Amino acid sequence: MRRSMSTLLSILVIACGGGAENSARAVIQNKGSDTLITVAQAWAEAYSAVDAEVAVAVSGGGSGTGISAMINGTVDIANSSRKMTSREMEAARANGNDPVEHLVGHDALAVYVHRDNPVGRLTLDQLARIYGENGTIERWSQLDVQVPGCASDEIVRVSRQNNSGTFAYFREAVLDNEDFKLGSHDMHGSKDVVHLVAQTPCAIGYSGMAYATPEVTMPCVMGTAGDPCVAPSIETALDGSYPISRPLLMYTSGSPAGAVKTYLDWVLGDAGQCIMLELGYTPAMPAECVQ
Amino acid sequence: MTGTAAPLFAGTSLNARDRKIEWLVRALLGLMTALLILPVVIIMALLVVEGGPVISWEFLTTPPVDGMTAGGILPALVGTVWLVVVALIASVPVGVAAAVYLSEYAPDNWLTRAINLAIINLAGVPSIVHALFGVGAFVLFFRFGTSILAASLTLAVMTLPVVIVSTRESLQAVPRAFREACWNMGATRWQTIRRIVLPNALSGILTGIILEVSRTSGETAPIMFTGAAFFLPFLPQGVLDQTMAMSLHLFVITTQVPDAPEALPFGVALVLISMVLAMNALSIAFRVYVRGRKKW
Repeated sequence: MRRSMSTLLSILVIACGGGAENSARAVIQNKGSDTLITVAQAWAEAYSAVDAEVAVAVSGGGSGTGISAMINGTVDIANSSRKMTSREMEAARANGNDPVEHLVGHDALAVYVHRDNPVGRLTLDQLARIYGENGTIERWSQLDVQVPGCASDEIVRVSRQNNSGTFAYFREAVLDNEDFKLGSHDMHGSKDVVHLVAQTPCAIGYSGMAYATPEVTMPCVMGTAGDPCVAPSIETALDGSYPISRPLLMYTSGSPAGAVKTYLDWVLGDAGQCIMLELGYTPAMPAECVQ
Repeated sequence: MTGTAAPLFAGTSLNARDRKIEWLVRALLGLMTALLILPVVIIMALLVVEGGPVISWEFLTTPPVDGMTAGGILPALVGTVWLVVVALIASVPVGVAAAVYLSEYAPDNWLTRAINLAIINLAGVPSIVHALFGVGAFVLFFRFGTSILAASLTLAVMTLPVVIVSTRESLQAVPRAFREACWNMGATRWQTIRRIVLPNALSGILTGIILEVSRTSGETAPIMFTGAAFFLPFLPQGVLDQTMAMSLHLFVITTQVPDAPEALPFGVALVLISMVLAMNALSIAFRVYVRGRKKW
């Protein structure tokens, strides 16, 4: 008994001693968008080889999570796949934080269907009528499509949880800020959406283009019925011809300085932007990449 | 029963029915027990079959690479150990002390009953609510930031009721005659507790701590906002650092990392479960040793 107590005590002392010791390394807190998280993680991983003294701690949770952390001042860089609203800006300023926006890239929001689904093209209006509260499209046959393996003919709508930037952008760009129809499957990650669509012949979903797999197809999207139908790609997101492409943003409190500034400059330089391109997102800056 | 002598007890139709019911009930209860074990066996078998191939020494000792689709899980493994150890340091002394007071000193009045009720309710609070409390109290109010300290304290608050309840129960399992004998010899309450009650209750107290370790290492919600990161390029150096953790790592590679190999999440789950089982086995071995020295 006595010996085990003293062992326990020495473990405590060692643990506390370890805790008191402070590292000289600078840590950049980076939090937010699930769309941007794979890129943010790849940047952090690559940056540890660039500057071993600076560590970038990445966490997700969604654009809303990043923005509230910015409002509360608990992050250095907040990732977001939507712009901060003026109310969020005010809340941050009330706490003494002054969010500054940095455009780091673009993401084409792809519409996903099962690979057996023959629907090759969709208009924004059709999407709004599938997903929107007042939409009347419930069945694939209403789009003149017969989906093999989907006997019920019913469109299974796959969507995102409501603090997701992808959710907010889709609502703004496709539904014109109308509410979503109830009864969609709200997934907690872009990968989940694609995964569910891949397994469900009746399904339709939306997520960043970078999450595409061979088991799903991405129909081209028309702005209005007469427009040319544009497939999501890095080029069409960059030249603006793809109708649902959104900015990927990083927010800092005030103008970046010190290690945060060096990191952001690296992110917007060739090295960072090429990582973005490699992962299937569209760079914000023209970058020279070795293919 | 089936001896050569005439049966002492002739079966009637009435107790034949009783015997049939007896057999049925026994079979039913046995079946329920088997059902209880079945999920555990299936889960373990599935994890070993699906995740076994990715486990290697490198898997345990290297950080993840290539956008977390390859490499190992070292930072998450180390992070979980940090979180559990700091949570134990925070909750075990408080929990055991509170249980000793409630069991040995507290008078049976409305205040004590209210405290007991509070403990039971604390145990029933969903973990996500603890997470929000942790963000508000430790991350923002005490300004610990998102750190191991904030996450571990959140976990400690969450598991405190487990420690208190199990400790109090094992203290109360020590026969009252032991205490009375002690008091009659002129020992004070504290002398009695230290020399007689605590040593005899040690195995039960350990059970509570085992339960806490298991629950702490698997929880995801309380740590994801308070201290666990999606990715960190370094191992935590102190309690004010953020950390990766096994449970959150499992969640993110399943839901958010594109192109992660199918076997990877199973491998992470297998390591997590093995870690908990190993800690449990160690504590159980210690309990058996302590119980072997028990004098009653």
